[in-house]
Amino acid sequence: MDILNALLQGFATAISPINLLWAFVGCALGTAVGVLPGIGPAVAVAMLLPITAKVDITASMIFFAGIYYGAMYGGSTTSILLNTPGETASMVTAMEGNRMAKSGRAGAALATAAIGSFVAGTIATVVVTLFAPAVADFAIKLGPPEYFMLMVLAFTTVSAVLGKSTLRGISALLLGLAVGCIGLDQISGQPRYTLGVPELLDGVEIVLVAVGLFAVAEVMYAAMYEGRVQESQNAMSRVYMTGRDWRRSIPAWLRGTAIGAPFGCIPAGGTEIPTFLSYAAEKKLAKGEDLAEFGGKGAIEGVAGPEAANNASVTAALIPLLTLGIPTSNTTAILLGAFQNYGIQPGPQLFSSSAALVWALIASLYIGNVMLLVLNLPMVKIWVQLLKIPKPQLYAGILIFATVGAYGMRQSAFDLVLLYGIGLLGVVMRRFDFPTAPVVVGMILGPLAEAQLRNAVSIGEGSFLVFLQRPMSLALLVIVLAVVLLPRVMRARGRRNAAQPG
Amino acid sequence: MNNTNKAEPTQVAVGAGVLLLGAALAAGALMVPSAAGYGGVGPNFLPWLVAVGLVICGVLILREALTGGFRAMDEPSGAQHAYWPGLAWITAGLLANAALITRIGFILACTVCYMLAVQGLKRASGRPAGTPRALLIDLATGFLISAPVFWLFTQFLGINLPGLTGTGWI
Repeated sequence: MDILNALLQGFATAISPINLLWAFVGCALGTAVGVLPGIGPAVAVAMLLPITAKVDITASMIFFAGIYYGAMYGGSTTSILLNTPGETASMVTAMEGNRMAKSGRAGAALATAAIGSFVAGTIATVVVTLFAPAVADFAIKLGPPEYFMLMVLAFTTVSAVLGKSTLRGISALLLGLAVGCIGLDQISGQPRYTLGVPELLDGVEIVLVAVGLFAVAEVMYAAMYEGRVQESQNAMSRVYMTGRDWRRSIPAWLRGTAIGAPFGCIPAGGTEIPTFLSYAAEKKLAKGEDLAEFGGKGAIEGVAGPEAANNASVTAALIPLLTLGIPTSNTTAILLGAFQNYGIQPGPQLFSSSAALVWALIASLYIGNVMLLVLNLPMVKIWVQLLKIPKPQLYAGILIFATVGAYGMRQSAFDLVLLYGIGLLGVVMRRFDFPTAPVVVGMILGPLAEAQLRNAVSIGEGSFLVFLQRPMSLALLVIVLAVVLLPRVMRARGRRNAAQPG
Repeated sequence: MNNTNKAEPTQVAVGAGVLLLGAALAAGALMVPSAAGYGGVGPNFLPWLVAVGLVICGVLILREALTGGFRAMDEPSGAQHAYWPGLAWITAGLLANAALITRIGFILACTVCYMLAVQGLKRASGRPAGTPRALLIDLATGFLISAPVFWLFTQFLGINLPGLTGTGWI
């Protein structure tokens, strides 16, 4: 019952008027950010990182968490109503959601997305509540070699597994690691890659890289390549689900949650895999009339399942973040950066040293999900208005917010020039299909991994064999190799099977 | 993808860029002392790892680019060719912002940045831009976004942003 007591304590903190207000503003802002094209939760949190200088940590974490999962609710609205899919997480939702909207069932699609997000988010929060403390207890036993291997696992999955091309994914990761090296070495105090520029001694701020790669690059890309893209919007209909819709949605939500939550828990982040898996599962399970709707009029399961999977994995991703300090996506990487701004390193100790904070954060997830359900069901028509903002004005406005984030962090005009350069880099990366998540994860996790590596090798008295001598780190090493090699082996076998039919 | 043995010039440039970056990082890594101490892994270990890794990636990317183009690549979204004036306007906006922010304050610098950027974005989408009336509206819109943002962040959230005056309002 320790967990229950701790959670109740958390609720007591989270329910104070000021924290409720932060949660509400975070959820509303997150929904807006999710709805608006060109700006996602990672950028929104990154732009707001400067507030960590003044706002109390509990309040700002509740706020950031609200943005984080609010964006997932909002994202589905855009992908259902606009015919150009936004972020990758909602691409699957867009497939069936768009078809439903075209056949006049936008309202039902929006409803199943919002309620499914709520169901999945709440169940996943229960999972976080029950399992995070256990994981933390277990993680205390891990030493530097195990941590290092866990981080290598996170690097591998984010760069080699999730993207289309392992080569470009690893290039992006190395770029991020290089950016992470800039500044004073944390152990020896040696300056690295500072080129004699005093501004670089402190390193490059996360805000700059995230805002540059995601926001500024997006604006530049829009001006260079997407000006003539014609967008059409589907007509809204009443937000309402029939009995048949409910009967089809409920099992899909639960299956989606069951698929999504485990994917969030393991350091193999990203929502693409669970959402696609859920979509495939729903399509496979559908029969008769329902199956005919897939790819035709739009099947409601195809929206309900992936949306639930998406939210479940996003929420469960807080487990590795809070208990191991390992981010598995852009946004969790930036949340980790936010913790670091307060001088707190998420990890197993967080549950003992900052118990009040962690439990208030978890309690706020429950509250936030309820808020978001209200924000996204009865009030969805208000958010839809945001889609009417003309693109040029919207994108130019994003630059103003980018300035707040980039300049507000260090008050340096030099950073604004750097921001421009990173924006250009982002355009090149997008044009040539380099993933950007590995850059951010590499940059934030790189210095931590380096420290663990150096400690681990010190423990091994200078020998790298230490990673093989400890059972846990050996096991993790095997997993890393499996993650890299298995898909290749399977693909090769698949090709061979295809070559010789029967 | 297309497996013709034709080189893709822009992709070759990207590969060369990665390779050069790796080389530059290696040069930088030379300047980091090893000072490994007990551990055997010093501050120059990661820089070397990254530099060598990037050189290898650069070579592999170059090879892909020279032998028919990047593998497993999504068609980039949007137009085939870049609309360079769009980028030029945004460049002007962002650099003007960097140059002016400490001189004329956040609100006015961001207004200028907004106005320049919106010119590029409007032209990119083929909308009419540049009439005196439209410019005036853009200027006003930029101000109406920047000013509340400035007040919100400086007054309520305690973030330091430069003003033209010390009043905290402009």
